[in-house]
Order: sequence, then structure tokens, then C-alpha cells
Amino acid sequence: MKAAFKQLLGGGIRQFGMVIALLALLGYFQWSTGGKVLTPTNAQNIINGNSYILILAIGMVLVIIAGHIDLSVGSVAAVVGISVALSIKDWGIPWWLGVLLGLGVGMAIGVWQGTWVAYVGIPGFIATLAGMLIFRGMNQEIGNNLSVPVPKEIQKLGAGYLPEWGPTSTNMNNSTLLLGILAIVLVVWSAFRKVAKSRRLGLEDMLPAAVYMRAAVLSVVIAYLTWLFGSGKPGTSFPISGCILLVLMIIYTFVANRTIIGRHVYAVGGNRSAAALSGVNIKHVNFLVMANMSVLAAVAGIVFVGRSTSSGPGDGTGWELDAIAAVFIGGAAVSGGVGTVVGSVIGGLVMAVLNNGLALNGVGSGKTQMIKGLVLLLAVAFDVYNKVQGRPSIFGLLFKGKSRRAAELVSEAGQEEVAEVPVAAGETAGRG
Amino acid sequence: MKKFATALITLGAVGALALAGCSSSDRSETPESSGSGSAAAGFPADATIGVALPQKTSENWVLAEQLFNDGLKEAGFKPIVQFANSGVPEQQNQISAMVEQGAKVIVVGAIDGSQLGTQLEAAKGTGATVIAYDRLVKNTEAVDQYIAFDNYQVGVLQGKALLEGLAKRQGAGPWNIELVAGSPDDANATPFFEGAMSVLQPKIDDKTLTVVSGQTTFDAVATQGWKAENVQKRFDTILSANYSAGTPLHGVLSPNDTLARGVLTSVKQAGLPTPVITGQDSEVESVKSIMAGEQYSTIYKDTRELVAATIKAVQAYQKGEKPEINDTKSYDNGVKIVPSYLLTPVVVTQENAAEIYANDPTLSALTK
Repeated sequence: MKAAFKQLLGGGIRQFGMVIALLALLGYFQWSTGGKVLTPTNAQNIINGNSYILILAIGMVLVIIAGHIDLSVGSVAAVVGISVALSIKDWGIPWWLGVLLGLGVGMAIGVWQGTWVAYVGIPGFIATLAGMLIFRGMNQEIGNNLSVPVPKEIQKLGAGYLPEWGPTSTNMNNSTLLLGILAIVLVVWSAFRKVAKSRRLGLEDMLPAAVYMRAAVLSVVIAYLTWLFGSGKPGTSFPISGCILLVLMIIYTFVANRTIIGRHVYAVGGNRSAAALSGVNIKHVNFLVMANMSVLAAVAGIVFVGRSTSSGPGDGTGWELDAIAAVFIGGAAVSGGVGTVVGSVIGGLVMAVLNNGLALNGVGSGKTQMIKGLVLLLAVAFDVYNKVQGRPSIFGLLFKGKSRRAAELVSEAGQEEVAEVPVAAGETAGRG
Repeated sequence: MKKFATALITLGAVGALALAGCSSSDRSETPESSGSGSAAAGFPADATIGVALPQKTSENWVLAEQLFNDGLKEAGFKPIVQFANSGVPEQQNQISAMVEQGAKVIVVGAIDGSQLGTQLEAAKGTGATVIAYDRLVKNTEAVDQYIAFDNYQVGVLQGKALLEGLAKRQGAGPWNIELVAGSPDDANATPFFEGAMSVLQPKIDDKTLTVVSGQTTFDAVATQGWKAENVQKRFDTILSANYSAGTPLHGVLSPNDTLARGVLTSVKQAGLPTPVITGQDSEVESVKSIMAGEQYSTIYKDTRELVAATIKAVQAYQKGEKPEINDTKSYDNGVKIVPSYLLTPVVVTQENAAEIYANDPTLSALTK
């Protein structure tokens, strides 16, 4: 029975710490605001208002897994935002060319930062601290400290919705409905594939019922979300910024877990020397994670100017800290080698729901920041405590069921860290 | 085949669930309003009113918070008053949350007036009324009214006060001055500066005034984020570069009190005599400084008056009446001319402080 329950969750219940925290937060705020949290508009607000931070968190988790940090993401996003806004306004280029130009600027900045970190050997902390100043200044220099509006098409990227089409009898946004159905089909199909594969391999302990049950639970969750996002006012749907986020999540989860370069990132962060001796090109990996971060910062910057309808001199201030907080709440280790893309997005969502719920409850700005700070501290403390106890990191194992290879690597790293815990704890305290 | 059947059943179950949920969807309701004509209908007298204020960077905003809370409660409304200390994204989220809480009027003191279009349009979509408070909201249709002190007039008064102060305290001209402007992302900073320059520029042209550093354009003299530390740094540089060799600094145009005090700190640290300096906002520390004969002038924009005018407008919208408007051509936000209700500011110096602050319990105590 216990084994079946475990398979149902795809791992132990403790490993779902942050998912449970997220659900608990949603439940609490739903109750305390009298049902204002889980409404279509508010759910759309949460996604629209935080997608740019979640996009940054995806890049940041890879940087942190590789054992670096990037403090410049806010400034990079700002400089990309103003480049896009100004190039479209002053040169009259079409919006999509502006977006491409923005991504190009992000890539150029990424090459710059990656070169300093990987090939010159400047620690990421210093190289990106410099970047933070350089690109903040560049933003103000290019934009003359002014706010520059962006065209409607780019506004759609940050605040727009999927198109309405087809019959109105569904009473939902049909694009969202289609998306939801596709996701459910995918979940159900992969469950069947998994069972079929284990039968073929003759695995004894596989319980098909548990796998089906899990797929059914996931499908119900997706169906609920589809309804939640799709049933808002006509003209609204699952936000476009959310779609960008989803696509990036899928790509980066795949890259991190299933590709050679992804495994190299974990290897370098877990044990640099061992990775080097195994033939991993460390410089190459460092260059790629730093360059990739700036490209994602460019995406975040474009999404944000879209949401704000214009690019301003204050864009991006403090975003690096929000993204880093999301990654650590999502279970990454300060010492590197541990973390997941999905975990970081969930960590970011925990912060987002906290922000949103507190705002709906009318809690002021000062208190909100104090509460967020405490949540960050407690989440990481919980993680560290579990490592001291000799258990593997619960957040690190959050998605063990999803990828066996990742889990193996993570649990190895987890055991390795048992001896290192005092150091890691000290480091955390020192940074705090 | 069995597998396929199970898949179909699962899908069917899920689909049914999804459809069951739809019955309570928002879509079955008729959209609440088309936006613009909503004011005519009015709304319940105990409605929620959202007030989104910027960062807590000056005493005026702190006072405004309290006045809005008390005033709106007294008028029978449910106020939600929030500061956005961590910047534009926080303010965007707060406005969205206010809309979600069913606010009928959103009063916005914007951090950056051009970055709130999406949220305010969403607010208009639910039939809410948007009032720009003290700072204009730019580049969006979604603003019904602007309530503020006449900012250009504030600048004009500051320029005149500077000239008057120079004549009184620094003997006969010509005089050396330096200029300071506010934050470039605040729509008010430009009218302040332009108003002041409308008085000072002719005097600069006829050499009565000399700007020794040569920094006379808005971009050169702007102070990011209205932060005293930024103006202080700028003045440390200007003073050591231009005034260390005995050139006297007679006067400084400062757009507000916080920046004036930043400049005075820098001047003191450089060991120079106190110049004639203007200000605005009547902050406690600056009123003390004026009474002590350091800062020359400030502007009194009674926050009580401004909040009272705003609450009066909210009450008018509640009853479905037209609020009071006294300017329909000055404030172009890039998309439309925003109808405005402008209040008149007053200059305060050491001589008239006691008289002007008579009705203000905090400030009048300082003038005795």
C-alpha cells in the first residue's frame, strides 16, 4: 500500500515540499480574501505580473547549478528593453525586427559576460556586478533617462491573450481549451508509454494503477487550470507571456535533463575537478550558461516592457534578487550542482502567490518584503536542516519521478554534501 | 485496444469536469461596461476605492496615506491604500489586485506614469474610474481625471523666489547659480523645471545670472529617483570643479525640499557659505531650516487640500455626477488631453511661514 502511494506521488511526499507549500498558500489566501485568489482575472494577473521573473529564474537556475551567480540580469533586461523601444520608435523598424534586435543585444551581452567568466576566469559574481553597473548605465545613456513607449504588438507579448475563435458554446477561450486538451493528451499518452515500456523491460515493482492514477490527478489539475484561465472575460485567456514561459520551461527542462550539455552543467557544478577529469570542457559550459542567462534576460526585458507599455529608466532594478530567491526557494544549492528548472519556477510562483495574496489582503509594501525575506530564509533553512540530518535534499529530489538520471546525480550530490554542510550553512549565513 | 478505451474514458472524465466548471464561468455574465460612460451611472456608496501611491520617499506621501484612509472611511467608502516601495512592477501588481477586489475608483500616484497602461486599461474594462493623483498618467486612454497642484506654476514661483532671495541676501547682482531638476521618469519634473526656467532664462541671457558649471539643460541637471544622495554626489563634483577657487555660489534652484537639503549638505561639507536655495513640499526638516535662515523658500502644497479635492471627486463619481474640472487643455498625456482639476500652490519664506502654516498643526508649531 505504502509503495503504491509512493508511486502515485512519483517519489516521497516530502519531496513535494514546495508544491505543497504553494497549494497551502493558495488555499490560505483563497480563504482569507473570500475567494479572490483563484479567479480567472487574478490567475492571469499572477502569470502576467511574474512571468518575466520566472523566465529569469529558468536561466538563473542553470547559472547557479554551474556554481556561478548573475547579478546583471535586471540591467541587461533594462538595456534590451530600451533598445527595443527606441529602435522601433526612432528607426521605424517593424516590431518583430525590434524583438530580434533585442535578442541580438542580449546575445552580444551574453558573449561579453561569458567571455570574462569562462575564458578570462573572473568569478561570475564580479563579472556580473560589473555588468550590472555597465548595463544600467547603458540603459540610462541610451534612453536619456526617459520612458519610451513600445508598439501594441510588443505589448501583447507581455500583457496579451490568445485569440478567440470557434464556437462560443464552450463558454471558454478556445485557444486555452485546445492547449489544455493537448496537455492532457500528452500526460495520458506518456503514462501509457511508461507502463508499456516497463512491461517490455519486465520491471516487477511497477504498479500500472499508480501511474494511471497519477496521470489522472495531473489531468484534473490541468483541466482545472484550463478552466481557470480560459473562463475569464471574453478576450482573455492563458496569457501569452505564460505561453512563452511554458515553452521555455519545456525546452530547458529537456536540455537540463536529457542532453549532454545539460548533464555537463550539473557535473561542473557538482564537482569541478571530477568533471574536468571526465573530459567535460568546463570553459565551454561556463561560457554557455552565462551567455544563455543574458539571452533569457533579454526575453524577460521584452516581456516586461510589453506589460508596462513602455521602457523606463527604473526597469529591472532588483530583478536579479527576485530570480535568485526563486531559484533557492525552488531547491537549488548555494554550492552548485543541485537544482531543477521546474523547481525554480515553482519557487518563483510561491513568491508570486505570496505577493499577490498579501496585496489582495491589503498588506503594505514594507511588511510584504519582510514576509518574503522570512520565507526565503525558512525555505533554505529547511533544506539545510534536512541535509544535516543526512537525508537527501527534499527540494533537490522534488522531481525525482520525472528523471531517473537527474535524481541519481542529485542524490549523489546530496550525499556528498553531508560532509560539507557546515561550510554550506556558514556560506548561506554569510551571504544573508 | 483496452489501453485506448481507458485513455478515452480518462479524457472523457476530464472533459466533463472541465465543462462542469464552465457553468459558473465569468463568460456567462454580460460584460460589466464599455468603459467610458460608466461614471454617469454612479456606484454604491460603500464601494471599495483603491489608492496606489509610489515609494514612501517624502513626508507628503506618508501624510496622504493617512488622509486617504481616514477621509475615505469617513465618506463611507472602503479604502485600500498601498505604497509600492520596490518599484514599478509592485505598483502594477497592486493596481491589478485593487481591480480584483472590485475597486470602483482607482486613485494613482504613479511611480512612472507611462508604465501603467495595461493595468489601468484592465481597471477601465471593469467599469472603474481612474484618477491620476499628483502625477500624470501618460500614453493611455485609461485615465479620467488628473488632480494636482499646478506644477508649471510651482516652477514659476520657485524661479521668482530664487531671484527675490538673491536680491535680499546676496547683495547686488550678477549672481552665480546652479540648477537642479527632479527625476526624469516623473512627469512633474519637467513642468517644474520649465516653469522655473521661464523666469530664470531671460536673466541668464542678460548675464544677471551665471550658471558656472554650464549645466543648464533638463537632462544635465535631472536627479534620478528624486534621491538626495544623487544630487549630493552631483554637487560634490560641481563644487570641487567650479567653486573651490573662491568663486562664490550665490543661489541654487532646487525643485523640492529633499533635494535642497541634499545640496545644502554638500555645500556645508565643501565648507562654502549657504547659498539662497528654493524648495517645495514644506517638509518638517526644511521648515526648520527656513526658520533657522538656511534654506530660503519652499512651496506649500497642502496635501490635505489635494486629498480633500480627490475625495470630493470620488464622491461625485459615486453619485454619477461630473467632478469639478478647471483645466481642459494643459495636460496632454500623449494619447489624450486629460481633464484636470488644478490647485494653486503658495511660496513660503521665513517672513510669511507663521501665517501660511497657521492651519497646519505640525508645521505651525515649528514657526514659533
